[in-house]
Amino acid sequence: MSAVLGTAAVTLGLVAAILGMATLALGLRRGNPAMLRAGQRYTWLVLAGAVLATAAMQFALHSHNFSLKYVADNGSRSTPVLYTVTTMWSALEGSILLWALVLAGYLAVMARHFRDRATDPIVAWATIFALAVAAFFFGLMAGPANPFRLVAGAIPLDGPGPNPLLQNHPLVAFHPPMLYLGYVGFTIPFAFGLAALVTGRLGEGWLVETRRWTLFAWGFLTIGIVLGAWWSYEVLGWGGYWAWDPVENASFLPWLTATAYVHSVMVQERRAMLRVWNLSLLVATFSLTILGTFLTRSGVLDSVHAFTESPIGPAILGFFALVVTVSIALVGCRGDTLRSPGSIDAPVSREGAFLANNVAFAAFAFVVLLGTVFPLLAEAINGDQLSVGAPYFNRMTAPIGFTLLFLMAVAPALPWRKAATETLHRRLLWPAWAGTLTVVICVASGLRGLSPLLAFGLGAFAGAAALRQLGLSVRGARRAAQPLWRGLFGRANGGMVVHIGVVVVAVAFAASSAYSHRAQFRLGPGESSTLAGHSVTYLGTTTVEHPNKTTTQARIRVDGGKVYEPSLHQFPFGSQAIGSPSVKTGARADVYLTLVVPPDAAGVAVIGVNVQPLIAWLWTGGTIMGFGTFLAAWPGRRRRPQAPEGEPVVSRDEVAPQPAGVGVGS
Amino acid sequence: MGLVLVTALAIGSQGRSGPPTEDQRVRRITSVIRCPTCSGLSADQSDAPAAMSIRDEVRRRVQEGETDGQIKGYLVGRFGGDILLQPEAEGVGVLVWALPLLGVGGAVAGLALVLRRSRVRPGRQVSDADRALVEKALRS
Repeated sequence: MSAVLGTAAVTLGLVAAILGMATLALGLRRGNPAMLRAGQRYTWLVLAGAVLATAAMQFALHSHNFSLKYVADNGSRSTPVLYTVTTMWSALEGSILLWALVLAGYLAVMARHFRDRATDPIVAWATIFALAVAAFFFGLMAGPANPFRLVAGAIPLDGPGPNPLLQNHPLVAFHPPMLYLGYVGFTIPFAFGLAALVTGRLGEGWLVETRRWTLFAWGFLTIGIVLGAWWSYEVLGWGGYWAWDPVENASFLPWLTATAYVHSVMVQERRAMLRVWNLSLLVATFSLTILGTFLTRSGVLDSVHAFTESPIGPAILGFFALVVTVSIALVGCRGDTLRSPGSIDAPVSREGAFLANNVAFAAFAFVVLLGTVFPLLAEAINGDQLSVGAPYFNRMTAPIGFTLLFLMAVAPALPWRKAATETLHRRLLWPAWAGTLTVVICVASGLRGLSPLLAFGLGAFAGAAALRQLGLSVRGARRAAQPLWRGLFGRANGGMVVHIGVVVVAVAFAASSAYSHRAQFRLGPGESSTLAGHSVTYLGTTTVEHPNKTTTQARIRVDGGKVYEPSLHQFPFGSQAIGSPSVKTGARADVYLTLVVPPDAAGVAVIGVNVQPLIAWLWTGGTIMGFGTFLAAWPGRRRRPQAPEGEPVVSRDEVAPQPAGVGVGS
Repeated sequence: MGLVLVTALAIGSQGRSGPPTEDQRVRRITSVIRCPTCSGLSADQSDAPAAMSIRDEVRRRVQEGETDGQIKGYLVGRFGGDILLQPEAEGVGVLVWALPLLGVGGAVAGLALVLRRSRVRPGRQVSDADRALVEKALRS
């Protein structure tokens, strides 16, 4: 029954998306408002299709309907309920279903948000583009990545369950949905960007409309990436959180271009410049999410996340090519009208800093993309087998990271248009001292190494600059007799909170990569060893039988205090044992324990110990970034109508909400 | 302040005195060697048996007094060029190092050019219609 319902639901979603596009296109052609409104309603049918398909999949998983190939391949009777729910995104077909569900949700919210402007051509076009993306993903499910395909031959009695790594930690319930909320969220601003190109209303209207959508997508993506790092740290057992693995890079690439975008839109809003550039960043962000899906799901790159060699590679690559071609063609057609009326007056200005920021982020994204696909390129060029891994990425991106930290410190203090040296001196004096003193204190307390010291110094500089801005804003709120917390809300202030989060993450990254210690100890019961001032005592092991796995737990006392239990899990269908680390978290350093080899006949086990400083700061920083995004999305002090600084700006007419039926733009 | 900062950084980047210890050398070498059976992890990071045997082999060769280059050369000979986590700057491998530098150089040069052009350009000519608009706005 699940198969029938699921297939019907996928078909419903696909047909509704296509019909919606057709209706909207016809309505636009004939100028028929009723048709435009009807076209918007198809988004609800798309949502219904996605929700029904998800319900069918969940029902099939929980009722152990092994007549479905997906359930037979990834489900099992012994998997706990939580991981049966998450089995939906533990393999390719189900991930596409989750993607379609999130996209349908965004579409419905978009249709509701813009319901009063359903007849505005820019909204209609944006809906067409978003529906086209939905049609592609429903099409994948109807064709090559069908989650409701039936098993060939006899129906199995039980299945292997999801990949052992994906049923080991509850974070798997949060990391993929968050990441997808981020990835998919960029569809909406992307659709509006294309709609602006098609309708020719290339002013700042569509940017302002989609600002909050972009912020939410960015915030979800940020949280998704941090949760992914956390998952990697808690589950994979190698003691790190970021390996520059292709799939990590695939999530990081759109984050980089999106971060560039959320900064450079401010230049466009204030100075009406960089229109082509902003559109390109948006297109790049969206197409990089698609390219990332291709790289990681098609099996072309070796990665833990590339579940299977799948037939969807060509389809996704084709879609990627289509997105890029259409976008470039549209930008090309509108090239003349995209020329900006504004110009940069002085390099040392807020807009100058944003330009530098964009160059840095673009370079960052380029390095990460090049490094990720380079093994493929090299093989294609002359058959060389090469690897590009963490040492390359760390070396190439560190200078860019330092540049960004420096810009983060300086940019908030720079005024728009032009900065007087005196102003700059006054605003940056104490943040600069904060940075310098941090370096002096670190050196005095015995820390060595140029890179980490630079990171700490620049981090303190940037953090102090952000705090200074927040302090000014809070003081402003007090003067205006508003509650003080008002001074933390709004885009600029929320942005500063995000900056503080970034600083915390950067400091943690620098410290943990420079000052980590790792060792393996062969210990018999009762024996101890010491690493970087932390003592570990091996007490013994116990074996626990779970319905879905057999677990060998080592008991290890850390620093004479609490006992931690790193373990090895043997799943019935998995050949290799999966380790679960156990971590003593501290504000200063984490002690990360793994059971490398279970005790032999003499009772001697091999214990991996990894001492890394400031790991907890990563998760704290990520939380601050998420919180800052929330503050930034919160309506701050209204500055509308947005007064352009200085030069005249063309076609501001579309900023105001359009009355129904009007609004063929400039 | 500049002086304080430069002095502190200079002291800080000196590092500990003396030649690297055996452990430090093993970690330095294995951190750029790929663990052959893992995905994306270095032989320093992984606890897989293959990574452990590479660590033991590297340690043995360090003790025998081989240089970093000799040890890496041995590993490349045994496992192939893709055992190195960062490609050597030779052959196609040059591209992965040179392209980002060229790109950033180009972008910075382009940016400088744009900034310079926009600075050299004199202020916009104000038309009579613009003046009339301003007058009107000021009066109302």
